[in-house]
Amino acid sequence: MKQAIYGLGIYLFLMLPPVVTLLESIMVVHMHMQMPLLVMVGMLFTPFLQQTFPAFFEKWNENGVPGIVLFMIIISYWMIPRTMDEALTVSAAEIFKFISLPFLAGVPLRDSWSKLTIKGKNSIFILLSILFGIMAWIYILSPNQICNSYLIKEQKALGWTFLLTGLCIVIYFIQTLFIDKEEYGET
Amino acid sequence: MIKKRSTFALIIVIMFGFGLFLIGTDGFTAYTAEQARTMKLVEEKPEFPKVTLEDSKERVYSLSEFQGKYVMLTFIYTACTDVCLLLEMNLAQVYNQIPEQYIGEDIVFMSISFDPENDDPATLEHYRNYFNSDGETWRMARIPDQQELDGLLDRFGVIVIPDNNGHFAHNAAFYLVNPEGKLVDVMDYENIDQAASKVNAILRTEVGDKS
Repeated sequence: MKQAIYGLGIYLFLMLPPVVTLLESIMVVHMHMQMPLLVMVGMLFTPFLQQTFPAFFEKWNENGVPGIVLFMIIISYWMIPRTMDEALTVSAAEIFKFISLPFLAGVPLRDSWSKLTIKGKNSIFILLSILFGIMAWIYILSPNQICNSYLIKEQKALGWTFLLTGLCIVIYFIQTLFIDKEEYGET
Repeated sequence: MIKKRSTFALIIVIMFGFGLFLIGTDGFTAYTAEQARTMKLVEEKPEFPKVTLEDSKERVYSLSEFQGKYVMLTFIYTACTDVCLLLEMNLAQVYNQIPEQYIGEDIVFMSISFDPENDDPATLEHYRNYFNSDGETWRMARIPDQQELDGLLDRFGVIVIPDNNGHFAHNAAFYLVNPEGKLVDVMDYENIDQAASKVNAILRTEVGDKS
């Protein structure tokens, strides 16, 4: 319950018009800060929702696969250059962003992660690194302005942050293969 | 039973995702706002609004000066150091690929500056020499009235963001306006041959083979 309240606080804060304008004025912050924060809000809501609707999560996301696929679909969707532009110019797209990232990406991610098998988790790490690598490649090497609302300079910066994030995922993934958490008393 | 329900949920999720991408990209055709914008323009065929143009020879007129002719447009500013130069160089190549008998008679070329403050007729006159534009069948002009300019840019979907250092971030394309003053095509400025053959095909069918 406490987590849900923190989540709600962050959610409302992110919705404040000046905060929205500020975060969306910088491309990297829009993609790598506002959007992940919205996913995090959803993750903070998850325990509360799981307690309120236990049957729903139990029934429809029993093995975690539908949830994690939904998460991947939603985050891939928001990586399409066009959707970023539309979030700024079409208000329906902006509203969809504020609903889809917490509730269709954040909630299913947290609900699914613990249910996934090791194999499932590994595939997600690999898929995410490939996806981030592709996005880095597109944003760094494109000679054209891909997003009408942002400058090419910002686009290149976004590409490099994609590459860094991708690398972090790869490093984290590799360490999970070699380090057994249980040996350190964490379960 | 349980396994079945998960599979069912997975199918629903995948169908939702498919629908989302289908709608979000106009049926998997437009992945950037620029592509979406171009498709919408070609579909809507907006009319060139009434604006007053002032060209490099200080002549003042509106687009109806070219009634009955196709007009190939680009939007530029002369202080631009990258995209505009390429855009105009490519436009020059398209110009050279149009058979001479059509030039000036059935089609005129026009580069419109969106920086009227700095691009006065003298500047445009100087600028046009870089590209061997003759100032007659390929003119360079500004729209002195900012409000008229904004109206045109908005209608044709030209996005211009000033960076406050005298430069602008902007999108670039070739715009073809038909003899009735309606925008009929927006072409990729980097694909010179494709643009030229498209324009030539339109001229051949609409005007007829003159040779």
